[in-house]
Amino acid sequence: MAATLCLLPFGSVNKFSRSYCTRVSKPRSEPHPPPTRSALKNLSALTIKLPLVAVLAWPINLGPFVTADQPRNFRLAAARAPDTLSLRPILANQSSLPHTVEVTLTAAPARLSLVPGSVSDVYAYNGLIPGPTLDVREGDRVIVHFRNDLPEASTIHWHGIHLPANQDGSPLDPIAAGERHDYVFTIKPGTAGTYWYHPHLHQRTGYQIAKGLFGAIVVHAAHDPLPASLPDKVLILTDNRFNADGSVNFPDPHSVEGEIDEENGREGNVLFVNGQVMPKIIIRSGEVQRWRVINASAARVYRLAIPGQTLLHVGNDGGLFERPVEVKEIVLANAERVEILVRGTAPPGTRTTLEALPYDRYAPQTRPKDWNVARDLLSLQYSDEKALAPIALPVVLRHIPPLDTADATATRVMSMGQGFINGRLMDMSRVDVSTRLGATEIWEIENLVGMDHPFHLHGFRFQVLDRNGVPEPYRSWKDVVNVPKHETARFIVHYEDFPGKWMFHCHILDHEDHGMMGILEVN
Amino acid sequence: MPAFSKSRCLGFVLPILVIAACTPSSGATSSDVRTSMGPQDQIALGRYLVISHDCGGCHGGEADPAAVGWLDGVRSPIQEFKIGPCAVQPGAQPCFTTRPKNLTPDNATGIGRFSERQIFNALRFGLRPEETPDVEITSTTRGQGNFPQTPHYLAVPMPWPAWRHMPDAELWAMAAYLKRGLKPVNHKVEDSEGPPDFWAGAYANNSFGAYPVPAYPTANER
Repeated sequence: MAATLCLLPFGSVNKFSRSYCTRVSKPRSEPHPPPTRSALKNLSALTIKLPLVAVLAWPINLGPFVTADQPRNFRLAAARAPDTLSLRPILANQSSLPHTVEVTLTAAPARLSLVPGSVSDVYAYNGLIPGPTLDVREGDRVIVHFRNDLPEASTIHWHGIHLPANQDGSPLDPIAAGERHDYVFTIKPGTAGTYWYHPHLHQRTGYQIAKGLFGAIVVHAAHDPLPASLPDKVLILTDNRFNADGSVNFPDPHSVEGEIDEENGREGNVLFVNGQVMPKIIIRSGEVQRWRVINASAARVYRLAIPGQTLLHVGNDGGLFERPVEVKEIVLANAERVEILVRGTAPPGTRTTLEALPYDRYAPQTRPKDWNVARDLLSLQYSDEKALAPIALPVVLRHIPPLDTADATATRVMSMGQGFINGRLMDMSRVDVSTRLGATEIWEIENLVGMDHPFHLHGFRFQVLDRNGVPEPYRSWKDVVNVPKHETARFIVHYEDFPGKWMFHCHILDHEDHGMMGILEVN
Repeated sequence: MPAFSKSRCLGFVLPILVIAACTPSSGATSSDVRTSMGPQDQIALGRYLVISHDCGGCHGGEADPAAVGWLDGVRSPIQEFKIGPCAVQPGAQPCFTTRPKNLTPDNATGIGRFSERQIFNALRFGLRPEETPDVEITSTTRGQGNFPQTPHYLAVPMPWPAWRHMPDAELWAMAAYLKRGLKPVNHKVEDSEGPPDFWAGAYANNSFGAYPVPAYPTANER
């Protein structure tokens, strides 16, 4: 007969002082009944066919878990009119040589007002959060003079840029406090797109980015198919949270809040676009704007939408698609980028909002209470000018040569647990995957747990083949693929050049710092 | 050696009796010497232990390895567990639902991607294999001997606090049976819910008893 599972081992735990161990019979229409007196009396009448419901009282005081939280809906005073979105300055080119961009990036402590009314001790590139934009063209030789004036080691990782391994700013090449280092690389043709830069010091990446170290990279194509007349705006999405004194809030990692941060990744209750809270973009009816959106948040995933209008999705991590795709919303996971065309389809004088719709990336244990609340990111305000005549947009943007699965010589299975990959924590001295230059391989990224994990491969862009067996509807170049709960994504990658050691990791920064990372060596 | 004689337990009626009657095992260290038996004998021992410890009572198939659904997880909400005050008072909060998982070695929905050591660590230390790296654990103290600083425990009511007292060889045998003695079944079980501390509060400070147990005889024994 079916056994009754007794919970007597818990009986000795005072917190489980009201343990129960029983079977009850209830109609299926009430799937989770409590034991009733009559049911308990009828225990002897139960047979193997009766459903099993064991119940256990849970008298633990969950106060800190269910009550302590900062207000997650930070809003400015209603009376305050939104500021116009501030576009980041472009790093000044110090070189007069053709096809050469030579810039200086200094990382240093600063005191900045991130939220109106308070001042925070932060880290900043060239005194700015976000840092200035590195604006380059395909084929440019880029020289970055990095000055690390932080009180700790750091690196600059050029996220998504295809460059020599020793220029990648990986955890293997830390730049000590007070040191100088030149990063030198050449932008490969065909890689026009939106990228970003940020520190990548092992176990300190999340902290340093939260303190303010991140900035955009825009690589322009030799021949961009989109009209140059389109206003081109970079939107860097971040979130953060602060103590009452304005300092950036980092809980004790062993506190409840710290453990939830480690689980979910650190989310903030203040949402920024280019360092501003709820700024505005002015658009004219009929106008088309090109937005490059970067998710630089440690853990927050944005489900982007503009109520009342659709988005023309034209590109992602590695640049433009072959054809535009009209969508109502876009899920932008950590470190991912998208290019969208925002068309002024509403009448003059109206306004709408760029929203982050709810996205349930969380495990049930640590899902925030208000995860299902939509958040405003940016006010989109239509000017009173009369509508512009529509402009023609190209139907074909470019050709993306497909990588052929017939060329693949290996399939790499990456099973992501919570905080580790293939059962192993990051070891800087270990090579997890060894391959050869010129090879084409398939990576199968499995998510074993009930929380999304965005997987990032350094150095080599890839093409997603399928997600949970469903073929990718269109081809694009990616360097991050979000793998939702218990799902599997496959991508194909060609190691065309640049041997060396490359990181792959979950781009939830708390997970990456915890050791959810490995090393690919291309020989 | 016959599988049955490997057990050092005196009774098998209920898990609680098993721990009461078992001799203490060798200690917290899970040595990687999994067995001195041949693979088939080890699987046979594991099969016997899985049946006698009623894994199928929650995970499916009761005590019948020939049953449809043998160990492949809950297939009906009626088999779920409601944890919390709601168990005795409908609607009371907090209320969590836990669901016995698919224990067959299916890669996508079962334990196929976990090593036998991760399964051993689940049975010995209560650590969720998908949330605990594949390492030898030599301590029961957070942050020491590879025991996680932030442990994620198996959802209540998995009775690992009792079964952790089984000898190493028996836990390895159970892991061997699940990994190598079962056919994979693709059957997805929804994740359990639970408190944000992943049940760690329930097991804090070893408040559910010492491991290993005191040496025989204690003051109560002769």
